[in-house]
Amino acid sequence: MNARVDPITLGVVWGALQSIAVEIGTTVHKTAYSEQAREGQDFSVAVFDAQGRMVAQGPYSPGHMGAMSFAVRNALAAHPVETLKPGDAILLNDPLLGSGHLPDFFITQPAFHRGALIGFAVNILHHTDVGGARPGSQAVEGIFDYYQEGLRIPPTKVWQEYREHEGIVGIIAANTRTPDKVLGDLRAQRSALHVGELRLTELAERYGRDTLFAAMDAIVARTEANMRAAIRAVPDGVYRFEDFLDDCGPGTEPLRVAVTVTVDGEQMTIDYEGSSPQTASGMNSYINYTRSYSYAAVKCLTDPYGPMNEGALRPITVKAPEGSFLNPRPPAGGGPRAIICYRTFEAVIGALAPALPDRVAAAASHFANPTFGGWDRARTRRFVAYELVLSGTGARATKDGCEAMSYAFNASNIPVEAQEANQPLVVERFEFIRDSAGPGRFRGGCGIRRDLRFLADEGKLTNLSERQRLAPYGLFGGKPGALARTIINPGAGEQVVHGKQSREFAYADVISFQQSGAGGYGDPFERNPEAVLEDVLDDYVSIEAAREQYGVVLVGTGGDLQIDAAATAALRGRRR
Amino acid sequence: MSYRIGFDVGGTFTDFVLQSPAGELTTAKRLTTYPDPSEACLAGLDALLAAAGVAWSDVAQAVHGTTLGSNVVIERKARGVGLLTTRGFRDVLLIGREKRYQVYDLQIEKPRPLVPRRLIGEVTERVLADGSVRTPLDEADARRAIRALVESGVTTLAICLLHAYLNPQHEKRLAALAAAEAPHLTVTLSHEVSPTFREYERTSTTVVNAYVMTAVRDYLRGLGAALGGRGYRGRLFVMQSSGGVATADAMERYPVRMIESGPAAGALMAAAYGELTGHRDLIAFDMGGTTAKLALVENGRPYTTTAFELHRVHGAAGSGLPMNIQAIDLVEIGAGGGSIARAHLGVIAVGPESASSVPGPVCYGRGGIEPTVTDADLVLGYLNADYFAGGSLRLDRDGARRAIATRVAQPLGLAVEDAAWGVHAIVNTNMELATRVVSIERGRDPRDLTFVAFGGSGPVHGCRLAQALGIPRVILPAAAGVTAAIGLLAAEVKFDVARTWVRRLDALDPAALTTMYDEMAAQAAAVVRGAAVAGNVTLARSLDARYVGQGYELTVPVPAGRLDAAALARIRAAFDEIYAARYGYANPMEPVETVTWKLAAVGGAPRVALAKAASDGRDGGLKGRRRAWFPETRGWTECAVYDRYALAPGARLDGPAIVEERESTSVLPPGTSATVDEYANLIVEVAR
Repeated sequence: MNARVDPITLGVVWGALQSIAVEIGTTVHKTAYSEQAREGQDFSVAVFDAQGRMVAQGPYSPGHMGAMSFAVRNALAAHPVETLKPGDAILLNDPLLGSGHLPDFFITQPAFHRGALIGFAVNILHHTDVGGARPGSQAVEGIFDYYQEGLRIPPTKVWQEYREHEGIVGIIAANTRTPDKVLGDLRAQRSALHVGELRLTELAERYGRDTLFAAMDAIVARTEANMRAAIRAVPDGVYRFEDFLDDCGPGTEPLRVAVTVTVDGEQMTIDYEGSSPQTASGMNSYINYTRSYSYAAVKCLTDPYGPMNEGALRPITVKAPEGSFLNPRPPAGGGPRAIICYRTFEAVIGALAPALPDRVAAAASHFANPTFGGWDRARTRRFVAYELVLSGTGARATKDGCEAMSYAFNASNIPVEAQEANQPLVVERFEFIRDSAGPGRFRGGCGIRRDLRFLADEGKLTNLSERQRLAPYGLFGGKPGALARTIINPGAGEQVVHGKQSREFAYADVISFQQSGAGGYGDPFERNPEAVLEDVLDDYVSIEAAREQYGVVLVGTGGDLQIDAAATAALRGRRR
Repeated sequence: MSYRIGFDVGGTFTDFVLQSPAGELTTAKRLTTYPDPSEACLAGLDALLAAAGVAWSDVAQAVHGTTLGSNVVIERKARGVGLLTTRGFRDVLLIGREKRYQVYDLQIEKPRPLVPRRLIGEVTERVLADGSVRTPLDEADARRAIRALVESGVTTLAICLLHAYLNPQHEKRLAALAAAEAPHLTVTLSHEVSPTFREYERTSTTVVNAYVMTAVRDYLRGLGAALGGRGYRGRLFVMQSSGGVATADAMERYPVRMIESGPAAGALMAAAYGELTGHRDLIAFDMGGTTAKLALVENGRPYTTTAFELHRVHGAAGSGLPMNIQAIDLVEIGAGGGSIARAHLGVIAVGPESASSVPGPVCYGRGGIEPTVTDADLVLGYLNADYFAGGSLRLDRDGARRAIATRVAQPLGLAVEDAAWGVHAIVNTNMELATRVVSIERGRDPRDLTFVAFGGSGPVHGCRLAQALGIPRVILPAAAGVTAAIGLLAAEVKFDVARTWVRRLDALDPAALTTMYDEMAAQAAAVVRGAAVAGNVTLARSLDARYVGQGYELTVPVPAGRLDAAALARIRAAFDEIYAARYGYANPMEPVETVTWKLAAVGGAPRVALAKAASDGRDGGLKGRRRAWFPETRGWTECAVYDRYALAPGARLDGPAIVEERESTSVLPPGTSATVDEYANLIVEVAR
């Protein structure tokens, strides 16, 4: 055991480790090449100690976070710490060992201080394309194993003593449809880790290795104690919930997510026993990914502002039957697994709703994460594009859900002006969908519609959307949000695209992503009529829906709309 | 005869400084007036000039700092602000970037939008990413949209169209149509306010500009006219968020640039004090009546940012309103002398609500009933009831005591002194966290930095904060209570212009670039020359560039003079060098893309010569003794009270001690000792 560390030093070292994680993240963000990394921030970063325990993370996607601890362990199992030298770095994207799909490249980079290992800088980034059946490597349809999804990299020292292995990088470049973006992003990842390595070494130099190690121990121990105390505040019990994913491709049945959450003192167990078996499609969530969003849900409900590191994970056990789609056996496909994460996250939230009614939220809208490929006529090159259409979040006990806000999966949208500058497309609409929000005493956020016109030949769409058959749930009398749709050339003669379909599109086709609304909380007939009127004035809710869904009767037109109090009371009274 | 005046409006106090032709400074402060802060400004200026026997016609320059813009936004005060945008994109402002600023908080909320959805209109038009027109502006449709907004009550219109930073023709045409349809409508255009890509950030900047425009214009014109009416013959200058000053009329079109005007001045002055005392790496800590503001100064310069966010939620990145403006990077929290204290969940809670100047703390005797930090500081004996603001405001000590007793001490079962100490300590803890943000999160250990504490309440709390953070040295500047106002007089006249030109650096025509820069220089220099009191106008040019394919840029200096191939090669080399310094590596083989070409015109910088301490200090400056409460001494202790104006250079004061001056009070707790430097600054050593 290391020496004790005084509170001020601990505070500073803790803050410094956190700043190192943030600096790694900022460097990736500012130097990345692909739209999904530099605009969507689809990456994550963390700092680990010499024993491979996560001690700090940056404020990015929780999905990568829970997986990171395991990915680093797997990297170090393949390359034991005694074989590591300064300047080495281990790359892996194996779905079972990493975060569940091939586009996510994990890099683990050791940091040394006067010859001794002091920790690791780690990041993970979603790459644009790693080959496989469809541009973007996220197909659902037609996939039965991960060999169809692209290049698989076991834990490999791609960098040795600060020298890049040109042969391996050459193989990676040769197996992607977008070598410029993949190599640019890989360089951004690697250089950000180098910054992290330098900062860690400086930290050890400044405070001494023993103090640094003692601080790392204290960070993990205090965080664990904090998390245990937070779980103790949750009423003991066994809580069950089930929800479904629409399906795993056209013509298939819904996938069941069944969860049992057991709160026992200061420990929590999340068991997905009863969930659907693994699928012959891309729709499988490898256990590390399932773990990630289960941890994230518990953290949201117990200790949202506490630190996030190895200590916060320890009191929580996540299980899923081997061979289920939440813990598949290799070589199950997993490319589009991001679409599953809201459901595991929301199943845990739904299960704990009776125990923690003031802390939970109804189900969020669902994002679409389609990928596109084809020939860019104007720039005379092939292209791969990625979109992220995020929408609103579910209503809470005391307030509406947020409009336009990431949920379990934390990323940004891609600005229209950034997307159009680099890709053969014109965005034609980006707006809220009226009457899509799940009604309730507090309503959910609206669904968002984003229409893209592709000025491209040989177009390939790999759709990835959800909540097109089964709507986001409401809570405590709140109603579900409206269903999502994907449409080609909306209007007369429009074609409906299945949420997980892979298909062609033609030059100048418009593809419209219309996302679901989020669930409501509480009886919509108890919603303050003034709030309903405001929503109508702002065109989030129609006059008809105000009457039908909320029992609020409005009279007048335009800016002079008013509540007919008597008619509202009568209508609300009648329907009770 | 050329006197200069600076006046800075804070939430509670307005600070004044007069500089004589010899460089001598005279300072004053008075309560800020609401709803019209210019009342206090004018009354204070009149009084200051009268006391000094200076005529308005002898004043060469008046420089003003104000948080008016920021206040209008935070209080969502403006009415009749609308937005017009490209058809299909009316929700860009409301959608934002969608990332959660707190990953795990399910109760998270987005800031309320400045323009409600019902006041956002769309026009049929479309420009593409190469600047070409895909859909020409439908003028009939545009006229309809403008009329509809005006009929809904819009009086100020922000216009932000897609890709207008590349091709502003449709925005310009819309402005002309708006002028024809509604001559009284005030219009602001995104390509003028913020000519950079990413539609949400540009829209947000443009909307804030529109939001504060009317209030700022009316206010500055009224103030300018009032000064003119008094015989002032110069122009009114305003501090910008960037730390440069500009004329009031230049700010009328770009009020967003002065959104954090006063605080920028404080950071500049802290840097100047640091320079005088030989400390170039410091934290500027400005604690006023309503908020505390912190800024990091590295190597003598305040840390600036172009990704400025207004009103973050608890300091979280991504939670505020993004602004594409150059600004001193400040962290601001709701902790000031007016912060309200209460018992909550069995503990003492302080702020962020403030009693501001109306009604003010209980001890002001102006109707305040909720105890504040200032009330606690008075009860603890740190403040002198008879010498607050130089004795212009007599404080009600019994009232303060009663309020703390009933609202904090009794509910928690504490003695009044313990409760008052708790209020003092809790507000310090809140500020400690903010101090960590400006230092540690920017990679600096606070223990290596010097703390410069100013503002009315800064020197009361500064040493305690330094003790908690392990900061070894604190500077309590002379005239600490009006430091920001002094900063106004130290600032340079500055005007920034920028043009977006996305092009590979190696494909640029240097002659066209030179022509563009000549135009920019003429535009910016005209603004500065029209304003500069004396001296030359210097031009600083820079470029925001990136490797082709990246999304974020680094700023590289652009050499002066005519640009040729060799100059472009130097820019290229400088880019790789700066990139490597920042990110640890460079890619000299990768092509570089230019994005924004920038130019700052800077007028001759006035130098503020601080007056040397006048006293010979024969009486040691001791003005008396009084009881003050310190936990180290387990309660009430008689301690020395010094007169700041009578301290002799080189004198040494050991804590516990109190130093009084007109605008503030410095508290030296047990375990600290201060020396007085030749400018009457207190340089405090804090024992570890």
